Amino acid sequence: MVRALDGKTFARMVLSGAHHLTNNAKKIDALNVFPVPDGDTGTNMNLSMTSGADEVKKVEAEAISEVANAFAKGLLMGARGNSGVILSQLFRGFAKSMEKKQTLSSEDLADAFEQGVRTAYKAVMKPVEGTILTVAKDAAEVALTESERTTDIVVLMEHVLKEAKASLIRTPELLPVLKEVGVVDSGGQGLVTIYEGFLAALKGEELPEEEVSESEMDEMVNAQHHKLAQDFMDTSDIKYGYCTEFMVKFDKKKTNKHPFNEETFRNELSEHGDSLLVVADDEIAKVHVHVEYPGYVLTIGQKYGSLINMKIENMREQHTAIVGEKQEKPASTKKAEFAIVTVAMGSGIEELFTSLGATVVIEGGQTMNPSTQDITDAIAKANAKNVLVLPNNKNIVMTAEQAAELAEDNVAVVPTKTIPQGIGAMLAFHPGEDILANKEFMEQAGQQVKSGQVTYAVRDTKIDGITIENGSFMGIADGEIKATDKDKSKTVKALLKEMITDDDEILTILQGEDVSDEEVTSLVNDLEAAYEDIEIEVHNGKQPIYSYILSVE
Amino acid sequence: MSIELNTNDGHVTITNEVIATIAGGAAVECYGIVGMASKSQIKDGLAEMLRKENFSKGIVVRQEEDRLHIDMYIIVSYGTKISVVAHNVQSQVKYTLNQSLGLSIDSVNIYIQGVRVARD
Repeated sequence: MVRALDGKTFARMVLSGAHHLTNNAKKIDALNVFPVPDGDTGTNMNLSMTSGADEVKKVEAEAISEVANAFAKGLLMGARGNSGVILSQLFRGFAKSMEKKQTLSSEDLADAFEQGVRTAYKAVMKPVEGTILTVAKDAAEVALTESERTTDIVVLMEHVLKEAKASLIRTPELLPVLKEVGVVDSGGQGLVTIYEGFLAALKGEELPEEEVSESEMDEMVNAQHHKLAQDFMDTSDIKYGYCTEFMVKFDKKKTNKHPFNEETFRNELSEHGDSLLVVADDEIAKVHVHVEYPGYVLTIGQKYGSLINMKIENMREQHTAIVGEKQEKPASTKKAEFAIVTVAMGSGIEELFTSLGATVVIEGGQTMNPSTQDITDAIAKANAKNVLVLPNNKNIVMTAEQAAELAEDNVAVVPTKTIPQGIGAMLAFHPGEDILANKEFMEQAGQQVKSGQVTYAVRDTKIDGITIENGSFMGIADGEIKATDKDKSKTVKALLKEMITDDDEILTILQGEDVSDEEVTSLVNDLEAAYEDIEIEVHNGKQPIYSYILSVE
Repeated sequence: MSIELNTNDGHVTITNEVIATIAGGAAVECYGIVGMASKSQIKDGLAEMLRKENFSKGIVVRQEEDRLHIDMYIIVSYGTKISVVAHNVQSQVKYTLNQSLGLSIDSVNIYIQGVRVARD
């Protein structure tokens, strides 16, 4: 039982993790299909990890904070590849969590894992789930819950490793490219390997050198096939038509005549095809190879013993069958971390919100406010642990607040009062932060946008000192009527004159359903001439009631 | 400017905007990059974080004869190894453009316009 993790033990953990990673780097390379299938994740992680371990070796101090700092520094200096950089961030946060501590308790260690994950998530704009990040996150979550139950660091690390492995197995469900190829994430596998090394050192065990089990051979075979799929666009391009797999069970009589040597065997086979994989131990050699004449390679295998578990597939036939077949996307039933529910009117605006990342868009707005029930339903439909609601209308803010109170999930309302505020708020969403921080960012971002609306008057009236005739258009800036005219475009221009100042850079125009493309084009031409420094964007919002919705930033 | 591809069935024209958008999409998925920055340093020298539809501001697609070059203006996270992040962006952008458009890019030049210190 280990209650306090000191620097010396942590140093042994790092060295053991690095050593275990070195032994498995090739296997991890074979899994690498994301983000770029160049088969170097294992190598990169190994080089990064080795650099971290080298720094740890230089440390004399016994305080764990110093060892962890040295490790983080070494990782940063030696970071290679995407996975290497992520690894360096994980342990940068890890080291930061333990200022000047001599030893760590199980709670401290769990906290360090959690801090590492937080730091790592902060360094990416759009975290991709189903990668090393997810594996680290899931493992850290388990560390936190387990640390409340146990003070034994060995037990804690056992749970961390177990969850990391479970999370790794789930990666293909989160990242379609992995599922397609049938492999787990290579970076995640690297992290699991490091954690395996950690645990072994904690227990004082030695890990075996590279061993390839059956399932790993399958993963390698899958990865090989994937690499090939990248090269072949056309069935007729397949040079070696038969995917051949077999095992050779060594026969003493035969191996006495032809002593088995893995490298010689590999060379013999490689002359007949490509995508070759050979794994051998004292009794058996497993082979996977693509060849044109499978008989030849079988004969080579027979020199050493008898053949078992043979499988030969015609890849040209398979390829013809696969082409045109649609890839099914895995539907995830797991609750997402975050979801955004927003209210919009007009199919164009709805699309705009969806493209910005809104999970559910409720139809509604001026004159058509959704009910509390509508919003509650939308929150349930979003199926997430944290839900942010953007009402985009001052009359809906209250309803949204009510719905938030009724909801079981963690729901926060960002009180956006206009569509432009809602769009501005969407852009400030940061999945790495918690829900309250996001509410704050998004609220601030929403307030930085100036909103304008152009709509028609349904009766003669006088508001804000402006006389408006029935049927005229009126321009409203943040709730105040600023301009009116019989002509739509003239109203827009007069309104913008009030809204745009020298500090503004971007004008976004949402075209209403009653506005023709010609009208917009001519309006934009005029505006471009009038405001040279301003970037103008037009989206077809197809919204009713408002001919134009304008956003100035 | 745009890229013209001739196939047996007709022409395909791909505008630089498309290339920039795909390049930007690939870049923001890279670890360590926290934003795209405008190529023109704005007024007070602040590198403004760009939003999705404004990628083109931080990405320049240049064609010189038959060669394609991309310049990207990015903001990276404090505490990452900048050279590696830049290299990752380069390889991912090249790979993604090759996958989605079949284009081979001669160079992807990265300009680090800012470093964002994450709040703790």
